[in-house]
Amino acid sequence: MHISDGVLPAGILAGSGVATLGLGGALLWRADAQKIPRVALCTSFFFVASLVHVPMGPTSAHLLLTGLVGIIMGPLAFLPILFGLILQALLFQHGGITALGVNALTMGLPAYAAWGLFRLGRSVRFKGSPFVFGFLAGWGAVLLSLVLLKVVLTFADESFVGVAWVVFIAHQPLAVLEGIVTGFAAVFLERVAPGVLEEQHE
Amino acid sequence: MHLPEIDKYAHLDSPLQRWDARVKVACIAALMVTVVLMPTYPLALAGLAVAAGMLAISRIPFSFVLVHVRWVLLFCLFLAVILPLTAGGERLWQAGPIAVSRRGLSTAGLISLRAVAAVLLVFPMMGTARFHVTLKAMRRLRVPSAAVQILAFSYRYIFVLLDEMERMLSAARARGHGRAHGLRKLRSLGSMLGMLLVRSLERTTHVYHAMAARGYRGEVKTLDDFRLRPADAVKGALVIAAAALLAAAGVLA
Repeated sequence: MHISDGVLPAGILAGSGVATLGLGGALLWRADAQKIPRVALCTSFFFVASLVHVPMGPTSAHLLLTGLVGIIMGPLAFLPILFGLILQALLFQHGGITALGVNALTMGLPAYAAWGLFRLGRSVRFKGSPFVFGFLAGWGAVLLSLVLLKVVLTFADESFVGVAWVVFIAHQPLAVLEGIVTGFAAVFLERVAPGVLEEQHE
Repeated sequence: MHLPEIDKYAHLDSPLQRWDARVKVACIAALMVTVVLMPTYPLALAGLAVAAGMLAISRIPFSFVLVHVRWVLLFCLFLAVILPLTAGGERLWQAGPIAVSRRGLSTAGLISLRAVAAVLLVFPMMGTARFHVTLKAMRRLRVPSAAVQILAFSYRYIFVLLDEMERMLSAARARGHGRAHGLRKLRSLGSMLGMLLVRSLERTTHVYHAMAARGYRGEVKTLDDFRLRPADAVKGALVIAAAALLAAAGVLA
């Protein structure tokens, strides 16, 4: 799901970099110092989740969990994803430092959609089950990331259209998997520690 | 599990390890931005050569680098297969419905050179000082305190979470959950991730309150401090000169 260094033209790198700095900076500026441990914990959670490989047909994929981060962090969801990607780029050379802006936006913005969906679910007291809304949040976040990624690649260079389609289609099973895992995690959190979610959803 | 150990070779002795971390991080970051934008093959190769040269100076073992760059290499391989088949334009070679595009092949090559050059530069930048020293350097370079704190805490928590997860996995195995398949496996994975969150959120909040009670105000104070020597400035000037030369050649190309 990451775009590596050296793929995108300077204009897109600069534009997304500025947008990411602006959004990240504004969130950091407004966030209470008390929130720092929570953001940091979610950052490492996001990082560690990317080390968990789940079997997917003949191959395996690693989890993204941007939807779950959105559910837990609410308005600050962009920060753990941004810092998680920074750590991945610095510690694992996964993704790229100059492509951080693009990657943060394509993965961070959908986390807000997941938050919105789950909030909606809470407001109707989970007609059905938290699983349904967890699933929608997890699946929707990955799907939206893929759409954004596809738009960026297509916009960057017309010769990327084919690659963009391959990436988009190849990740569809992962999106469903993410939905299922996020759904079960949401069921667990609602049952065991509703307080964890309360803070972001009242 | 593969631990993030980028600063494993920070103790080696080379001009890069001895370089003032503030100047090092700033200069190499500038060089990195330059190499990823190189527009032609000769220039991208020159960028790669500079990156490889700096890596060699740092004395970080090649085997260590190879393990860490495998994701980038996989990504390049993926592009090298897909792009020539899908990019269109002039055909280099054709067999039935499969056509290899010249433009796709050359774009994939160029991207790979730039990506590998950029990733090699991460090692001289991040691998030649302990992570906390690099963070301190970032703070001195006016990165906001909250950002540096988040990076410092989350770096520490990564190891805590991995430990915790290892414990939960062996507990699950002991109870016979290890061999679950399909939906059942995803269910236990989801619950485990939820459990991991609940436990560690409580713990981190306690730790933070304990730190605040002991006078933590967001800045980490350490006894060692940065000192800028003439050699640091010379190294900085060399790297910036290389970046400026590449950038100028790139603009003219």
